[in-house]
Amino acid sequence: MALNRAVLPDANRNLEQLYEEFVTRARALGTEVYRVPNLAKASELVGKLVQEMGVRKVALAESPLVTALDLAAAVAGAGAEVTGGNPRERAGAADLGISSFEMAIAETGTLVQDATEINRRLVSMLPPAHLALVSTNRLVGTLQEAINNLAARGQIPGYLAFVSGPSRTADIERVLTIGVHGPGKVVVIFIDEGGSAGE
Amino acid sequence: MSKTALRQATREALANTSVCSALERFSDNYVVAREQAYRQKDFEGLRREVARIKREAAECMEELADQFTREATRRGATVFRAATAQDAREYIARLARSRGIKTIVKSKSMASEEIHLNDYLKEQGLDVVETDLGEWIIQLARQRPSHMVMPAIHMSRNEVAEIFSREIKEPVEPEISSMVKLARRELRKKFFSSWMGISGANIAVAETGTIVMVTNEGNGRLTTTLPPVHVIIVGLEKLVPRFTDIAPILEVLPRSATAQHITTYVTMITGAVPAVDPDGNYHEQKELHIILMDNGRTSMAADPVFKEALQCVRCAACLNVCPIYQQVGGLFGDIYTGVIGTLLTAFLTDPKRAQVIQYLCIDCGRCRDYCSGNIDLPALIGELRRRTVEREGMGYVEKVIFEKVLVNRRLFHRLLKTASRLQKPFAREGKIRHLPLFLSGLTEGRTLPAIADIPFRDRVGTLPRPDKATGRVAIFSGCLIDFVYPCIGESVAKVLAALGFEMVHPEQQTCCGYPAKQAGLTNIFAELARQNVAAFAGIDAGHILTACPTCAEALKFLYPQLLAGDPVWGKRARELAERVTDFSSFVHAHREKLTPLLVPLQQKVTYHDSCHLKRYLRVAAEPRQLLKDAGADLVEMNRSDDCCGFGGSYTIKFPELSKSILNRKLESALDTGAEVVALDCPGCRMQIGGGLDHRNPRVQVMHTAEILARCLPGTGRA
Repeated sequence: MALNRAVLPDANRNLEQLYEEFVTRARALGTEVYRVPNLAKASELVGKLVQEMGVRKVALAESPLVTALDLAAAVAGAGAEVTGGNPRERAGAADLGISSFEMAIAETGTLVQDATEINRRLVSMLPPAHLALVSTNRLVGTLQEAINNLAARGQIPGYLAFVSGPSRTADIERVLTIGVHGPGKVVVIFIDEGGSAGE
Repeated sequence: MSKTALRQATREALANTSVCSALERFSDNYVVAREQAYRQKDFEGLRREVARIKREAAECMEELADQFTREATRRGATVFRAATAQDAREYIARLARSRGIKTIVKSKSMASEEIHLNDYLKEQGLDVVETDLGEWIIQLARQRPSHMVMPAIHMSRNEVAEIFSREIKEPVEPEISSMVKLARRELRKKFFSSWMGISGANIAVAETGTIVMVTNEGNGRLTTTLPPVHVIIVGLEKLVPRFTDIAPILEVLPRSATAQHITTYVTMITGAVPAVDPDGNYHEQKELHIILMDNGRTSMAADPVFKEALQCVRCAACLNVCPIYQQVGGLFGDIYTGVIGTLLTAFLTDPKRAQVIQYLCIDCGRCRDYCSGNIDLPALIGELRRRTVEREGMGYVEKVIFEKVLVNRRLFHRLLKTASRLQKPFAREGKIRHLPLFLSGLTEGRTLPAIADIPFRDRVGTLPRPDKATGRVAIFSGCLIDFVYPCIGESVAKVLAALGFEMVHPEQQTCCGYPAKQAGLTNIFAELARQNVAAFAGIDAGHILTACPTCAEALKFLYPQLLAGDPVWGKRARELAERVTDFSSFVHAHREKLTPLLVPLQQKVTYHDSCHLKRYLRVAAEPRQLLKDAGADLVEMNRSDDCCGFGGSYTIKFPELSKSILNRKLESALDTGAEVVALDCPGCRMQIGGGLDHRNPRVQVMHTAEILARCLPGTGRA
């Protein structure tokens, strides 16, 4: 089929270029973008951001990356607490949700998450702010590459979420307003050396 | 709704100036922002790809529905095939009853609007809450969405504040960001307490059983996540064969809808996923019900012409750029609005209404250039009109005019000459400023030109000739130039003589037939096409020139299509078409010879792009170059290719609407400070000239041919 280009990102397309493109697009949408070299720096940055945002309650969606970062400790170290209860309560009570994403699309500043697991969906939707973690090497150039990538995997996950910036509406007088139903603040941390947890 | 009621309704819609200006403002911004969003993208390539996918899908709709059903079922969904709106409504109500569900949250779904789902569920005692902000506002106001993508575009912040205040029984400040917060807070309560969520779908993938939804607010994600029962209503036209088909559709949909590269959220649901219900209980698999709805779609797919409309991805670009929609909003449509809305209305919601509202299309062709599904929308409206007239017939007077007069050239021309005498009491200096009685609306805010004393065809013998002819050109004058603006014809002759062309004007030529096409009378159009083909068949001239773009479109593109089924006439029509050129393109090709002869104009000129010249003949640069060659100081007006509101008989059918569109054009033109408005179409000249005569008679309107002729020595310059 004519449309199917290589499933893997073109090796010639430098990761740095993809990252730059992502940053430009994502910032235009209102996403805050950070990049760290490794897991240790990532935990440190999460703690710092939690403190800066002044959040008290944080909801975590478990994933290998979240576990590897030992975020519970980072959050506690920043003077905030990790929420408890059933998944609705955990996410519903939080000021900030943290979850990991599987892919990032440079041309649109989009993050892609397999959100089949209920916690990931709730944690990335209910709190007013969201912090997304993604491995830098999961950047792809285009939406089409991302779709082809997913198609090539075999079984499509039950719930795929593509997120491009904060929740927005322009339904009243076409005035752009941020944070209607989903998070009004979206922060992403790219981690260069995420180890096996980032895969 | 009758045609008279429709005209009355357009007056009422025009009176709502806040809607008009909101839609106009949106449209102006949209065009610019959309252009940006498509930078680095090949829109033409993408829409051809989308069209290919959707065409293929429409051809095997039934197979795709079966495949989708199998795949989604395998992944834990329950798929229900609803043949009618009633089947779909009942299924949902039954489901809610059997699960003891009382409250339902909904995210935006046009399919649910189509079947009036909310009203039905309310009758069944269910509490249904729309959660898309615009839809919620509309629901609270007990109104109907006026736009497929932006349902509350017609409302002001003050109106919204009033509506919210009524709902929460507290005063609400008309401040947008705080009202958005209020909506978040109120609707969160609904999300947390609801046991059923209902959503629509933008794409349904047969190969994987996947449903794709695009949203910006996030209510779609909450609707599909919080309630333990999820119902998706999806029209059969949303099916595509493969997962990879999602990509091109997702590339065009947000860009064409709201000029976004991508919507904030794109959600892809494949089968039943876990959920936690309002009581906090975990469900390994929620209940997912997918309603595959037909409700007229298979009959659309089976229609040899209208199946093309199934290529639509519901981006609403055709509304966003439609000059009529900007003026009358939701009146132009039913549940689905605008041009595509009219076509969908004919098959999905209210065929009777579609037969009337299709008359609102002015045939400017702008939507065709913007359609993400590459649909020839004006052609489909033309077909709807043809079928309407075939079924319903037309008024006696109209019928006589078309069937007895227009096809009889001698009678038609004799009547025009008689009319020229009869109009004398109303005409001064070739213009009619006021008409009595029921015709008065035509001259309100606009002057009409008088029918010429001597038509162009009777002036041919006295026209300038080249000193030494180097070629021969035949002229197709068209009714407006022949009987209203012979001066344009004379200018054409003068320019041709200067270029060394001898001009012939075959006497047997008649109306190009476009008015008959516009009236839905294909047989009369074809008869006139044959008469004109015959009139030019034996004429020894390399080129056939016309200074009217609509005539050019008819001769060059429509005749060959129209007569294609007839081996003899089809061939002759193609031979004619090959020789046809519009005036400016022809002269442009000989401009090296013309330019040295021109005495510079030294006037500030702005150029209006006529719809049929720019969008059907694809000519825009040529006349501008000629004007520059003539020494004009060319200044571009804003939105130079916006329709002027003429549209042939449109100006008589909907005079108020036509004038409203004209006013916008006049403002753009006058804003430039130009002394002359140049254009290439006698129809636009009549409309814009008539308006300028009232607004600012010092500004002249001239056909490019007239300007060039004026710059040739031998005529007095104004």
